Amino acid sequence: MAVAIALALAGITALIAVSDAGVGSLWRHAYHVPVVVAALRWGGGGVLAALAAMLLYTPFVLPALERAGPSSSVLEALLTLGLLLGVGVSSGALVAGFRRQRARYEALVAIQRAVDGDAPLDIALVRLRACLEGRLGGLVGLAVRDGERVALAGAAVLVPGSPVARVLGSGAPLYVPDLGGGGGGSRPRRCFVAPLVGRGGITGALALERRGDIGAEERRALLALATHVGLALENARLAARQRRFAEELAEKVTAATRHVVEMDRMKSDFVAIASHELRTPLTALQGFSELLATRRFAPADLARVGAIMNAETERLGRIVADFLDLARLERGLAPPLRRTRVDAGAVVSDAVEVLRRARTTHALEVFCDSPLPPLDADPDALDRVVKNLVGNALKYSPAGSRVRVAARPHAAPLAVEITVEDEGPGIAEADLARVFEPYYRTPGGARVAAGAGLGLAVVKSLVDAHGGTIRAENVAPHGTRMTLILPALP
Amino acid sequence: MRALEQASAPPRPRLLEATPLAALAALAAAWGLAALILPSPAARGIGLAAAHGGLLGTALAWTAADGARERWAPLQAALVLGAATLLAHLVPGGVVAYLAVPAWVVWRRVEWRRDGAEHARAVLAGALFGLLLGLHLLVNASLTLGFHVRPGRPADLLAWFAYDLGANVLTAEAFFRAGLFARAHRRWPFAVAAALSTAASVTRYLVDPLLLHTPEILAGATFYLALLGVGNCWLLACHGSLAGPIAAGLLFFAAYRLLAR
Repeated sequence: MAVAIALALAGITALIAVSDAGVGSLWRHAYHVPVVVAALRWGGGGVLAALAAMLLYTPFVLPALERAGPSSSVLEALLTLGLLLGVGVSSGALVAGFRRQRARYEALVAIQRAVDGDAPLDIALVRLRACLEGRLGGLVGLAVRDGERVALAGAAVLVPGSPVARVLGSGAPLYVPDLGGGGGGSRPRRCFVAPLVGRGGITGALALERRGDIGAEERRALLALATHVGLALENARLAARQRRFAEELAEKVTAATRHVVEMDRMKSDFVAIASHELRTPLTALQGFSELLATRRFAPADLARVGAIMNAETERLGRIVADFLDLARLERGLAPPLRRTRVDAGAVVSDAVEVLRRARTTHALEVFCDSPLPPLDADPDALDRVVKNLVGNALKYSPAGSRVRVAARPHAAPLAVEITVEDEGPGIAEADLARVFEPYYRTPGGARVAAGAGLGLAVVKSLVDAHGGTIRAENVAPHGTRMTLILPALP
Repeated sequence: MRALEQASAPPRPRLLEATPLAALAALAAAWGLAALILPSPAARGIGLAAAHGGLLGTALAWTAADGARERWAPLQAALVLGAATLLAHLVPGGVVAYLAVPAWVVWRRVEWRRDGAEHARAVLAGALFGLLLGLHLLVNASLTLGFHVRPGRPADLLAWFAYDLGANVLTAEAFFRAGLFARAHRRWPFAVAAALSTAASVTRYLVDPLLLHTPEILAGATFYLALLGVGNCWLLACHGSLAGPIAAGLLFFAAYRLLAR
């Protein structure tokens, strides 16, 4: 194209030279064509083409001016020179301005595309940098605050005191006309750093670095561009945060739904089991009360039936007490305690002794260190806890196996540790954390023995109410150990 | 990227920093003394060596990594130029001694040029620009002002070429482009730096006693030297090599030497 324009200018000059009209030749107006074409092609190139046309036409004008003075033809020729310059400058400026505007809009679209999507900030910055470098004609660097760190594109590290670091600190744009290293200084490396402004203030900086001028107008355009980049990044960040929030919310809703379904299933199971548990003593009571109403018993039989009915009534009472405790637990209330100074060793020994008489199928061993520090506890609650743990150990371990109950002091913090260890099949690792949940029954446990899944939940609530801890673990080669630690009185 | 990885920009020299004032003062004193006590041709020769040596030496001091080490460069350049001038006047064909000046500059390993393709492009662009400007000068001047093209003898052409390359063009481009323009461009936009450099170089030629001081000559010289100055600044900024401006200057002045009344 440049060669064609040069040839056109030369051709027009030749036509003027061979024309009889000389300086007044109408061919002089043809200079406008290559000038306008150059302006359309290169913008500012229109000025150069106009200057070239003027230089080519000047050898016709000056001799005429020397010969005839300011005649009408010479004045027209001078006017042509002025017009050429005017057309070159104005058309070049118009085209350059139009291209700048188009480039600006294209840049805005490209910026939006670069930061769109689910890409992390670092990837988005790399894309953004690539897109801007192609449009700004120089090296582009980006630094964006991301929490405590600064995400970078264009360099591995942000050196304190560098132009970008200074803009991040001050928030004011910075123009450095010479960064040094310009190859003898003939082509200085300049840079302009514009702050990226988000809703919360300065969020980063955009740097343009090149060998060559970065004029005042370009710097203003870069400031505007930086504003767009800042807002685009801010919007992308907000969109990403919203997406993350929505995803987290969906996960939570799914988990909650799953939990509700599980709870519903466990409650259904519980209702069935509870009905069964309640029905057993009720059936016994109903049967014996009918017998008492319809038959006459010897005093010895009457005493036996009365003892049975009393035992069933106590059983019924324990089940109802568990339900009440569970109801309090579900309302977030601690079970009521009547605290007093308690000898843990005595409570453990008594509870185990009662169970030893009731269940003779297992070898129950008790090891209580003496002396044990006293506890500030509800003795009835502690009795329930120990009986529940030992009862579970007896229930879920094979007949003839050993169940060991131990109580020992803890030095720091001052506490009493009570362990109940059986030689049963143990609890699956996945179930260990859930055995203290209300209604929860391990699949293996549900097959071995009946129950409402309330015992350990009630135990945990009682231990928590005492400020203690309880944990379940498996022991080698097989068996389960329940360890509860209760704070002691000094 | 320096904007992120460079703690601070290296100190930028002031516009006239590292100017070898002592050497320039010595040259001025020598010129003044010569004008007072020596016959005119000898004084002119010393003046020529002092003026060109001052420009070249100052450019060397300004563009050196350590300007202080080049504080006597004007005296050295003036000595080389003075020797060439002496030979040019005393020995037939001695004007080729001016070619020793660019050789001396090259020997000093001055970073005024690029290597490889960039150097070739700079020379080509400069030659094209100088050729067009020179042709325009020839056409315009031959159509006006009563000038005509004088075909020169090869010996004369070689002599003018040697003088332009060793003294006139080399020293002007070294000082006004590699020195003044480059320094100004490090702090101001191209337009400002080019205007300063061009104004200074045009002034240098307008005060040159070898130029005819008639209004039309002064107007023409101002016009063409301004174009040459701006164009050479552009060439230096584009290619980073002084070879382009020197090529343009050589061809333009070659055309100028062909003109006669």
